[in-house]
Amino acid sequence: MSARAIVSVFALVIAVSVPALAQTPGATVPRVWEALTTANFDIQDHAARPGVPAGQGIVEGNEIPYKPGAIAKKQENARKRETDDPEAKCFLLGVPRTMYAPFPFQIVYSPAYMAIFSEYAHTTRSVFMNSEHPPGLIEWFMGDSRGRWEGDTLVVDVRHFTDTTWFDRAGNYHSADLHVVERYSLMTPDHIRYEATIEDPNVYSRPWKIALTLYRRKEPNVRVLEYECYAYAQEEAVRRGELGPK
Amino acid sequence: MVIHAFRVSVASTIATALAWFLVSAPVAGQEGGAGGAAGFRAAPIAGCPQISRLFWPCAEAKAATFNPARNPDGTPNMNGAWSPVTANGSQNIEDFAGDAFLGRQISIIVDPPDGKVPYLPQWADKRQDNWDHYIDPIGSCYFTGVPRQVYGPRGQAFIQAPGLFAIVSEFAHQYRTIPTDNSPHIGDSLRLYMGDSRGHWEGNTLVVDTTNLTDRTWLSISGHFHSEALHVTERFTLIDPDVILYETTLVDPKVFRQPWTMAMPLVRFEKGHEVWEEPCFESDHDLPFLLMEHKLWLGLNPPR
Repeated sequence: MSARAIVSVFALVIAVSVPALAQTPGATVPRVWEALTTANFDIQDHAARPGVPAGQGIVEGNEIPYKPGAIAKKQENARKRETDDPEAKCFLLGVPRTMYAPFPFQIVYSPAYMAIFSEYAHTTRSVFMNSEHPPGLIEWFMGDSRGRWEGDTLVVDVRHFTDTTWFDRAGNYHSADLHVVERYSLMTPDHIRYEATIEDPNVYSRPWKIALTLYRRKEPNVRVLEYECYAYAQEEAVRRGELGPK
Repeated sequence: MVIHAFRVSVASTIATALAWFLVSAPVAGQEGGAGGAAGFRAAPIAGCPQISRLFWPCAEAKAATFNPARNPDGTPNMNGAWSPVTANGSQNIEDFAGDAFLGRQISIIVDPPDGKVPYLPQWADKRQDNWDHYIDPIGSCYFTGVPRQVYGPRGQAFIQAPGLFAIVSEFAHQYRTIPTDNSPHIGDSLRLYMGDSRGHWEGNTLVVDTTNLTDRTWLSISGHFHSEALHVTERFTLIDPDVILYETTLVDPKVFRQPWTMAMPLVRFEKGHEVWEEPCFESDHDLPFLLMEHKLWLGLNPPR
């Protein structure tokens, strides 16, 4: 895989070093990507049940190494998912869940700053390139993402999370000490291999990995639209007379 | 009416309001609602008076001759973070003396020359009704819409990629992508809070055409509004290494009797400024209080 091809994925044409990219067919517009997986239901292998398609998990070895006692909270989350899942509340989904949630996203890249724009709740995920995490007690839903190139692979280090996001509707969770290292590498011009190493000594006994494929949306006029779920929920509540002045 | 103070506080938490002040104060010399000092908006920006009706012709003259730094593809380089320092966080867009709830403002409307939104007669009282009875949609953490994204609360980062211009707002992690590849607008029945923006370059000016908007967004905290027929044109032109002339023309024959235009400077944040995550709905604890006296704005023809 050539360096030129990988930068074309992220439409890195502003860098003076890749002037040829402007001539690469199809490389002129930042592309729209989407995962094709049922991982948002459950990142592990799961059988079908009403409303949930069966799916093969994205966890390497299918095992999440919860520390003794930590699994109980996952099970409690699963029982309360209809009210407690951040997705049910229309909160930001965090990392890595935003990458495999069933919504398209666009990756826009300039040399210092990459942004990932998801259709879900107008999520912006900023990836600042070749820079350090800011110090201090910072807790963000999407974490603080710092990117760098290792050869043809984009490596993104993510820290400074809240403890309020989940990995899936099955209630898999983490603490605010979550640390995610993502690796994006181009398999073809239309496929990205996405891998993430996940560690959180408060919850897991060892680091673990997920891997999946991101597919390029090929429809000619494809556009990331909007899914403003909390606006819809509030509008419904107004219609039912549950929200607003009495 | 104490609740109005909450309306402003929803739009800007104490911390971010402080950040806004720190950003705007050195350039604009503004002092918010209690203003009255002779220095209000007195300091020039890029050698032009910062009051919109004076800034506009001065900046247009500079735009005609300024040769900006360029990207490798030849387009003017606007990458970076920008602040609408004279827009007061979109509290108001017309002249306003300032009161207990909203800061002083000098109109950012340059056409018509009276600096007022040219509402059709049947809408003459609607803005006041909005202010009295509804929550500014961004107070409920909805998108700002267009063009308010550019002059709304706090700053925006611009990212230029080939075939695309993107605007990332600090407010509520919202964004807008603007293809600049001659692609057509999406189908007319699709309606989006941020509309469908398409851009092209006219010389050194990025011209953005936005359609497919909803009537669910406002133009200011004070209640200026539009219908879903709104059609917005925006023009971004560097007039100095650190200043953009931003002009936007709004056409909406259901609400306005004529097209009208706002113009203002966007001033570059210090180098290395990063637009960070601002959860809005995720941490919005004010809304239940707002809803005790005010309604959600669900458009000019709210659903039943």
